[in-house]
Amino acid sequence: MLFRALVDLKNSLASWRLWTLLGWLEVRQRYARSRVGPFWLTISMGVMITSIGMVYGTLFGMEMVDYLPFLAIGLVMWAALSQTVNDGSVAYTNSGQYIRQVATPKLIYVLQVAWRNSVILAHNFVIVLVLLALFGVKNWMTLPLFIPALLVYFANALWMAMICGLLSARFRDLPQIVQALMQVAFYVTPILYRPEALHRFSFIVEFNPFAYLIDVVRGPLIGQAPTALTWGVTISMAVVGWSIALALTGRYLKRIPYWV
Amino acid sequence: MAFIELKGVTLALPIYDVQGRSLKKKIMRFGRRNAIAEGNDGVIVVRALDNVDLRFEPGDRIGLIGRNGAGKSTLLRVMAGIYAPSAGTVTSEGKIVSLLDISLGMDENSTGMQNIRLRGLLLGMSDAEIQAKQQSIVEFCELGDYLDLPLRTYSSGMRVRLAFAVSTAVNAEILLLDEVMGVGDAAFMHKAKDRLHDLHNRAEIVVLAMHSNAEIRNVCNKVLWMENGRVRAFGTVEDVVSAYEATV
Repeated sequence: MLFRALVDLKNSLASWRLWTLLGWLEVRQRYARSRVGPFWLTISMGVMITSIGMVYGTLFGMEMVDYLPFLAIGLVMWAALSQTVNDGSVAYTNSGQYIRQVATPKLIYVLQVAWRNSVILAHNFVIVLVLLALFGVKNWMTLPLFIPALLVYFANALWMAMICGLLSARFRDLPQIVQALMQVAFYVTPILYRPEALHRFSFIVEFNPFAYLIDVVRGPLIGQAPTALTWGVTISMAVVGWSIALALTGRYLKRIPYWV
Repeated sequence: MAFIELKGVTLALPIYDVQGRSLKKKIMRFGRRNAIAEGNDGVIVVRALDNVDLRFEPGDRIGLIGRNGAGKSTLLRVMAGIYAPSAGTVTSEGKIVSLLDISLGMDENSTGMQNIRLRGLLLGMSDAEIQAKQQSIVEFCELGDYLDLPLRTYSSGMRVRLAFAVSTAVNAEILLLDEVMGVGDAAFMHKAKDRLHDLHNRAEIVVLAMHSNAEIRNVCNKVLWMENGRVRAFGTVEDVVSAYEATV
């Protein structure tokens, strides 16, 4: 069963031209005939970060020099994760017309979602770069850690998308539930506020897997190397998550055309 | 050597949209057997194929006939590997290309040229293959400069031309066609027929579902008659088509 999923994954990766094209198409479709195109994403994210930064920065009485990069990285990275999972939950259902007509590997539809959101992340990441340039990099030594961190981060987003997509194809109420849960997760994850600010409610962060995920990608960019615990939690989440996702995919791969 | 073999293939299609049938209907149905069965979880299950045994060899040009809903399209989808059978096995050798839906994988906002690539990739062509065939596709569809315009500006006839041109450019050892005739204007119909003939000659096995018996007599050497998801008859064109015509 696992073997079947691995074969599908291998074939899916091999047809990268197809899923990168499909992913691009959707970004382009959304911004067809608009002048700045996908950079609207950058603009709207920039507006959001500035306004939230002003309000909450003042509210929490924080230094903008510290708070804005912290907030921007958190929001940009969170947007990538939550959007990948949300889009992932409709990955198969939205591609129903393809799935019912051609026998392609199935995971290309999840990879397409991942690719689309990587493209969007690249656009949003401009803001992070601008802020780092404006306020200066805290610690150059921790910057290279961002690359493995990003890989771990996306690996986690992918397995969540795989599982959500598969289950949502069968149970159509799930995308709604996933969306609501991701909204809740956003508030209990230290993105708007610093994890230390929770004081006696720090268990919210300690037992929140998303807090570790955000921490692992945010830390290197704001000059804090992620702790061994953070690495451990995020990497083991990826390993366990992928095993479950592949097992499930292998088990239900053949049912997908019946469901969509 | 290309071949397709189906052994005891049964396909139960679950239909999820029609759940929660009323108690009244259940009582009314009590004691009567129905071809459309209900699974134990309340999902309607349609038995689209029922214990189908077949083997197609190289050189076979098979015409699929049968009434609407007899299982022709489902059979093609099973052979194409889209639907996995609920029982039985499908084994095949050779590259299978299925043209089941003429409008597959066309993106409204992309230009004609970009759509050639998208559809080509979906049909399993490599980038190099698409590049090599692009010229002949462009010539065949006769759309000229329109290929640089987005698809949403195309008339339905132009879309069909483009889709048909890309689909029939694929090199297939096994070709599965579902009612692809009847496309475009008269001039294009003629061209399309020639192209299909050419395609038939290149492929080792061709299976086509069609409602025109005259056309089937023309291009096929074997005919498969489906009825209620079962094979009613499989044999030479004359025998099976005559028997089929006698029933309608």
